[in-house]
Amino acid sequence: MEKKDILQSQSSIIGTRIRQRRREVGYTQADLAKKIDISPSYLNLIEWNKRRIAGSLLHKIASALSLSSEDLDGASEKRLLETLSEIAHLPSLGALGVESERTSELIGRFPGWARGLATLARSEREATMRAQTLSDRLSNDPFLSETVHRMLTRIAAIRSAAEILVEYPDVETEQRERFNSLIHQDSRALSDVAEALASYLDKAEESERVHTPLDEVETLFVARENRFEEIDGPAAELARLLIDSRPISRRERARELTEKQLSEPIELMIERQPQIITAVAKTRARRALVDYAIAAILMPITEFAHRAAELRYDIEALSEAFSVEIEAVCHRLTALRSSDGAPRFGYLRANAAGTIIEMLGLEGLAIPRYAAACPLWVLYRAQQSPETVMRQRVLFPSGARFVFIARARHQGATGFGKPRHYVTDMLAMKEDDARYTVYAPDPSAIVEEVGPSCRLCPRRACLHRVEDPLSE
Amino acid sequence: MAKRVLLAEDEPNIVESLTFLLDRAGYEVSVETDGRKALNAALSDAPDVLILDVMLPELDGYEILRLLRSDSRATNLPIVMLTAKGQREDRETALDYGADMFITKPFANSEIVAAVERFADGRVN
Repeated sequence: MEKKDILQSQSSIIGTRIRQRRREVGYTQADLAKKIDISPSYLNLIEWNKRRIAGSLLHKIASALSLSSEDLDGASEKRLLETLSEIAHLPSLGALGVESERTSELIGRFPGWARGLATLARSEREATMRAQTLSDRLSNDPFLSETVHRMLTRIAAIRSAAEILVEYPDVETEQRERFNSLIHQDSRALSDVAEALASYLDKAEESERVHTPLDEVETLFVARENRFEEIDGPAAELARLLIDSRPISRRERARELTEKQLSEPIELMIERQPQIITAVAKTRARRALVDYAIAAILMPITEFAHRAAELRYDIEALSEAFSVEIEAVCHRLTALRSSDGAPRFGYLRANAAGTIIEMLGLEGLAIPRYAAACPLWVLYRAQQSPETVMRQRVLFPSGARFVFIARARHQGATGFGKPRHYVTDMLAMKEDDARYTVYAPDPSAIVEEVGPSCRLCPRRACLHRVEDPLSE
Repeated sequence: MAKRVLLAEDEPNIVESLTFLLDRAGYEVSVETDGRKALNAALSDAPDVLILDVMLPELDGYEILRLLRSDSRATNLPIVMLTAKGQREDRETALDYGADMFITKPFANSEIVAAVERFADGRVN
């Protein structure tokens, strides 16, 4: 079976949802087709996901069905589809005959069940990650190893002395008291060790939990397509106050303004987000939105959209123009929409170990959450040439073409003789969109065949494959 | 004449209990709490059995075991390893290096006495 391309599947949710909603409100295809002024046969094609729709037609259908366009073409559903498509190809489900080609239908018809499955899969992944971390810790953590050793030694001493008292009733009083005293000493020492261990494990649990709510925050950003109008509006006003802000840096001033003027709306936003559940996720969301607000002040959206188009989305030129770091420009570019007259950008950040540590997704670009991404992505190669913008023209097995722009930078303080730890920022755009940018590849530029991840990639002959493909 | 047991263990309370037990069982017990001294004593005093803790200061139990097994004076010395590390690889390491037995903490007193009887007196349970 050939695996369906996620890009195609994403749009196929819409048709299924239109069909379902039409039936709910009691319209025939002919009724709805008439209302929106298209032929019933065309509507039929749309409903069976044979035709893609967007823009004004999507808006008309949504209005006729008393829904918003977002209800039909929801970003959260797109993410849900990506997640479920990836889950469907997990090795543990390989033998179960999961109907991966019907994922969009599942989401359209049973959205609650679909969200439930994704939530369960996420919990399972978190539990597995935690189990792995704990297993690694049990095997390699010097503190745990030493503590467990001390506990077992104390227990051995207590047990041995207690057995002597029970099994040798003829022990002289003085010696009996001596063994009692040993038991007392060792049990106190054991209690101290156990307390230290409990406290250590409590702290470990807290630090691990920091990793788990990432998905909650990511869901918020995906649902909003990385754009928060309620921050951008007031931030553009605040941007005027940046003038003559010396001697403190513009960024510091922007942070100060955010803390003074935008903390309250940000808190309100977080409280109203159904996706943000845990306390740790709230903290992370607050941090992410504060960063967003700082960027919104430093690069007001309208001015940024205009300058970005003028500079053809050149991240280095934009960094100069707005006196901000290149990574901030990359982030800000993902907030641009087609309504700003801009191409859509996705963003990824990876560390030197190849772990993707941040992502602001792009429609159609399958980014694996349950496995490492394809090692052929320039995201990983960029660390060979730090501080240099690298371009990669890629072709996915689905036929989707993207242009990736990556640049590695060192993170954290450094100095002569000190190590530099690099992270890579990568922007992704559809190849069609790249023509509006300085990164438009020459038609003769090499197209590199890549995949989403080995498991999801059917390129059997790839020399860099580390896992078998799950689809044949 | 009583058989001699060398106890290489740095935990004083365990030393006190094991010394009492082995003494009651009729053995002459000498104790070393430092790895290097334990190695020297095992080579020079020729005990009938060595009870060897893995975690010892100066020289750990595995290293002592390796050095003893490569010295002709201790090739046949019965060695009972004692450790709080009970993982399979620890046991395998000990047996690969030539330990005769591997006992994990917390142990039952009877396990220690039975092991010493087995190797010192040739009794097999």
